[in-house]
Amino acid sequence: MSIFEYNGSAIVAMVGKNCFAIASDRRLGVQLQTVATDFQRIYKIHDKLYIGLAGLATDAQTLHQRLVFRHNLYQLREERNMKPETFASLVSAVLYEKRFGPYFCQPVIAGLGEKDEPFICTMDSIGANENANVIGIELAKDFVVGGTASESLYGACESMYKPNMEPDELFETISQALLASVDRDCLSGWGGHVIVVTPTEVTERKLKGRMD
Amino acid sequence: MECVFGLVGDGFALVVADTSAVHSILVHKSNEDKIMILDSHKLLGASGESGDRVQFTEYIQKNVHLYKFRNGISLSTAAAANFTRGELATALRKAQRQVFVANPYSVNLLLAGYDKDIGPSLYYIDYIATLHKIDKGAFGYGSYFSLSMMDRHYHSGMSVEEAINLVDKIIMEIRSRLVVAPPNFVIKIVDKDGAREYAWRESIKDVDASPAAMA
Amino acid sequence: MTIFVGGFVFQFDGFQKKAAETMKHAHGTTTLAFIFKEGVIVAADSRASMGGYISSQSVKKIIEINPYMLGTMAGGAADCQFWHRNLGIKCRLHELANKRRISVTGASKLLANILYSYRGMGLSIGTMIAGWDETGPGLYYVDSEGGRLKGKRFSVGSGSPYAYGVLDDGYRFDMSVEEAAELARRAIYHATFRDGASGGVASVYYVGPDGWKKLSGDDVGELHYKYYPAVVEQEMAEVTIA
Repeated sequence: MSIFEYNGSAIVAMVGKNCFAIASDRRLGVQLQTVATDFQRIYKIHDKLYIGLAGLATDAQTLHQRLVFRHNLYQLREERNMKPETFASLVSAVLYEKRFGPYFCQPVIAGLGEKDEPFICTMDSIGANENANVIGIELAKDFVVGGTASESLYGACESMYKPNMEPDELFETISQALLASVDRDCLSGWGGHVIVVTPTEVTERKLKGRMD
Repeated sequence: MECVFGLVGDGFALVVADTSAVHSILVHKSNEDKIMILDSHKLLGASGESGDRVQFTEYIQKNVHLYKFRNGISLSTAAAANFTRGELATALRKAQRQVFVANPYSVNLLLAGYDKDIGPSLYYIDYIATLHKIDKGAFGYGSYFSLSMMDRHYHSGMSVEEAINLVDKIIMEIRSRLVVAPPNFVIKIVDKDGAREYAWRESIKDVDASPAAMA
Repeated sequence: MTIFVGGFVFQFDGFQKKAAETMKHAHGTTTLAFIFKEGVIVAADSRASMGGYISSQSVKKIIEINPYMLGTMAGGAADCQFWHRNLGIKCRLHELANKRRISVTGASKLLANILYSYRGMGLSIGTMIAGWDETGPGLYYVDSEGGRLKGKRFSVGSGSPYAYGVLDDGYRFDMSVEEAAELARRAIYHATFRDGASGGVASVYYVGPDGWKKLSGDDVGELHYKYYPAVVEQEMAEVTIA
């Protein structure tokens, strides 16, 4: 079994009209054994920037601590929050530092930019951006997924996603996609956690789900 | 084989551990205490390779004490848990850099504590430094039985009596269903009055004397 | 991989080994059965998985061998289904030849002997044969390693330790059928909660003097919220950004 699948996870982020949503499952497991059903995989960087860390739970925790540390330094020096694009570059750099002994995590980053334009992206465990062009990071236009349920998530998102959804519809879509996907995965699920961010509001909801 | 489990009750948290010191097919000792009293209001139940277990828990204990001597106040349970995780996580990555050195600490931990403002709490920390706050948890082969039994019978706000009753049920189940079941267990409790040993559950007495002395 | 059949030694090459592995489709499972005052209770989950992927949530893991006998399924799905059907045929032939139904002891022995003859060839079966015969309720555990055990209470599969935890503690011989069914359901539910490879529907069968009867088939997704009604936590936090 891959070390990425040791704890089990499912993370998805979607872009809506002037908003985005990021969602994850709530299981912490050790292979097939469920240890807890109230685990957090989505971390807040600032009011309009979130990162979900799929993969090995311990590395997600370590990586989150290091990213918060780096973001705090940035805030002190620059007296402002990071733009999502900048943060994605930071994550990529932090990951590549450990090129020969990587963090076994796949990050899913979602945020609102300077003009409140939504941004989502993902990368592999050593910082290679998905959809990256030579110059830098190109944002995904629709949705990004990660974790042990990623294959199911691709399917669900591919069929359920529509461009320019309003926050309410976006919440419904991402929730249905998440719940449908984790029901086909042994290692993730046991409830869900959804965050919808608009320029003026952050809505956080816990989802009831199958507990098997 | 090793069994460590614990739960949070009404105003207290408890940790239970087996007391067998095993090496391959040999049981060296059946009264080895694997639950360390970290400080006045903290318990650290540990399972793993015996060398690592003792070295690591003592290291944590001494550092928790050092913090108190330096600052005059104790670490909260959450702080101690995060400190422990940090040390474990650092050690894990250090080991990986030197390919030929094994994992320095292969220990799974349950940290129970009582804080004045927060009340009792229990933290799950596994050997790869995954930290999570829990109500009930378990490590080792005993976890297969204890987790489902705790799911079935646990409720928030359990009294000490109810909790001990459940613990006894679990110990009985482990003894009867687990091939490599350890004979003896120790139960420790932490509440507002501090961390202390609560009871032993022994089915074999460890005789600490030479055969000659027994005769 | 070396396989012994009738004195010949078969050496599997890489391809044959791969082929054998693909065919295995081993699924995680929780099944259980126990004898009590009124008869036998048999229960199981319904999940089939391949690695982390859930390939089905509606597998029939309790196989109806004949109106008086049930078999449970753990291990290879095809192996279990085939050999239970095969056992059903043999039991019917026994009935026609002897003008009386086969005993649970006899049926389980038939299966055990077949499995023993295939030992080492890669069959993967862990089953319980439960039923009612002239001597009353009967329960046997049979596996593809050639083992056969008579007993009052068994659980088989990846979720079995979890199920045993609930089952052993709640078991009494003098339960009513309703109590026994609820205990079995509860044990399956708790196993599906902790074991990633178990889930779907918790089916419960009862075998009494008049043969078997399916008592229930509850979706454990709903069962969880029946046992633990969702507390309406005020978790819909809305944070307004200035």
